Amino acid sequence: MHDSDGFCDKSAHRNGKNANNGRYGRYGRYGNYVFPIILIIPLPPIKRCTLRRTPSNFTHDIPPVSRKIPSHQNPVSSTPAISIQSLTKEFKSPSLFQRGSITAVKNLSLNVEAGSVYGLLGPNGSGKSTTMKIVLGLVAPTSGRTFIFGRDSRDVDSREAVGFLPENPYFYKFLTGEETLHFYGKLCGLRGNKLKNRSKELLELVGLTDAAHRRVGGYSKGMLQRIGLAQALVQEPRLLVLDEPTAGVDPVGSRDIRDLILELKQRGITVMLCSHLLGQVQEICDRIGIMHRGELVREGALDELISIENQTEFVLENATPELLKELRVKVEASGARVVGQHKPQQNLERYFLDVTNDPKK
Amino acid sequence: MSDAAAPSAPSSPVHRMFSLGRIAALAGNTLRDLIRQKVFYFMLVFALILIGASLVLVSLSFQGEIQTLKDVGLGAISVFTMLLAVLSSAMLLPKDIEDRTLYTILAKPVTRFEYLLGKLSGVIAMLATATVLMTACFCGVLLLWQGRAIDNIEMNYPVDMKAESVAAATASPDSTAPQTRRELEIQKLESETFNGSLFGAIAILLLRAAVCAAVTLMVSCFATSWLFTVVAAFMMILIGHIVPIARDAWQAQAGMGGELAIHIKLLLMGITVFCPDMQLFNLVDDIAVGKIIPMEVFMQTTALGFGYLAIYVFVGYLFFAWREL
Repeated sequence: MHDSDGFCDKSAHRNGKNANNGRYGRYGRYGNYVFPIILIIPLPPIKRCTLRRTPSNFTHDIPPVSRKIPSHQNPVSSTPAISIQSLTKEFKSPSLFQRGSITAVKNLSLNVEAGSVYGLLGPNGSGKSTTMKIVLGLVAPTSGRTFIFGRDSRDVDSREAVGFLPENPYFYKFLTGEETLHFYGKLCGLRGNKLKNRSKELLELVGLTDAAHRRVGGYSKGMLQRIGLAQALVQEPRLLVLDEPTAGVDPVGSRDIRDLILELKQRGITVMLCSHLLGQVQEICDRIGIMHRGELVREGALDELISIENQTEFVLENATPELLKELRVKVEASGARVVGQHKPQQNLERYFLDVTNDPKK
Repeated sequence: MSDAAAPSAPSSPVHRMFSLGRIAALAGNTLRDLIRQKVFYFMLVFALILIGASLVLVSLSFQGEIQTLKDVGLGAISVFTMLLAVLSSAMLLPKDIEDRTLYTILAKPVTRFEYLLGKLSGVIAMLATATVLMTACFCGVLLLWQGRAIDNIEMNYPVDMKAESVAAATASPDSTAPQTRRELEIQKLESETFNGSLFGAIAILLLRAAVCAAVTLMVSCFATSWLFTVVAAFMMILIGHIVPIARDAWQAQAGMGGELAIHIKLLLMGITVFCPDMQLFNLVDDIAVGKIIPMEVFMQTTALGFGYLAIYVFVGYLFFAWREL
């Protein structure tokens, strides 16, 4: 991902890999890099690149949990993981005295390619959750069809390939974490030692081994999200549907979940997620769709959608005022324009994680 | 419907639409969830105390002692199994929807029918557990009382070895020697206390509670709140208790004065299907007064109970299948 001049393609980060060591960046897209000055110049380049120095102290960015997710034999298939065709959903008015209906989703069509991470975005009430529920067969569409790996999602067997984590889930509070996974495993046909081993692996994966025999009723919000993620993965699904997977989770837990999603992607598992945390979506998604009032208003590869095509960003380290002045003169002489010049800031997440980092971990 | 072509589906093993394994998993989970709730123990302990207290109530009653014991014991089993059935079933579905647990279950390869059947099976397993515990306590009370009653008989008919040997030597079936009379009294007491009909009636009480659970689960499939489910289910059960009495009264009236109007007949038929006829499950009164219930009646009542269960599960499934989650 690096060229000889130290230029780095930022898509390498979105793919979950740090350019230096192939592991996942703990602190977001820019890791531990130092950005003294950013120059934004409106040029018509083809590629948007960032000049940076690679850090030497990146070894502590190893994800905190061991990774034992089985990879699929043929992770990337030509059949879309999700195919939505002309989907419309109208809800009838619940009032007996009011006629009419509310259109939650209007003529929606999209495909989620196998092996990708897809972000479905939109304000509250835009139809994201309804779309997810229709894909999972929990709600019947008014018209249109949805498919999971080519199977009609109204068929129960299509769900063998799907794991789902709803927003703010609560599980049976009288069950322990381990019993919860056993329950979901049995629903998926797992039994005996296979189920025990799978539960153990997943508890380790989501960092709940120590809480395996505690009742779920005593779990914190972050732990509930983690056990939710574990139950979604219990039958080794090819598709994960996540509704606000990091809602209410602290930054460390949120980072762990994000890293896990990237890990799953590496293993060939398709992920479709809804989230209001746009920064996180930007870090992990390959493609996004933006819904508004039930309609898909934008859809495409994230790079294509958010790049400003006529601007280029340089990040320089140890640049002297003379050099900057010279650059500015040269830029203006060439007919281009310097739009902004400012010192970069580390993001708040990185700062928080630095402050709260537990050296024992 | 879109006329767009469906993406090609990869071949995979055929999914079984009905799996006893999945139903057992749901039932086991429901049972475990229910018996770990404090309300279960509270109601059970309350029922056990009531059954135990019947030993004290015996001395305050004007009825025969054994009748009072059975009235109180079977009454407690009847009321508490019904209460447990309604209260535990009413919260299952609304709670799963509210906590979004239902989404995680139905997002697995589980049909809604399996879900309902699994939940109902779990409730029935819990009711069976509670019934077994209450029956054990009830039997303990009866045994205790029986022991005291046998002591009383033995005091009234003291053992006379000489008379006993004479009676044995001149053994005749109609012998009324004091020792033989004592044995007859004891035998009569034992057969009044424990018999097949008693345990049959308890099994029918369990079946009735299962029907109440099925009614409640059916209501919860279309209800929007836990409170509505409880109130509606209790109303249906109450109607199920009252309507047979009204029907008998109307029929008696018609027998005296002429034919029962067609609309009343249809109404009664509708109500009998809509609300379970609870009087048909009521064998406790006969058992308490010492009657022996014929096997035929048990079989018919059992068949009726399973018929009601099938109807309510099916209707509940229809509501649930159409419900937007």
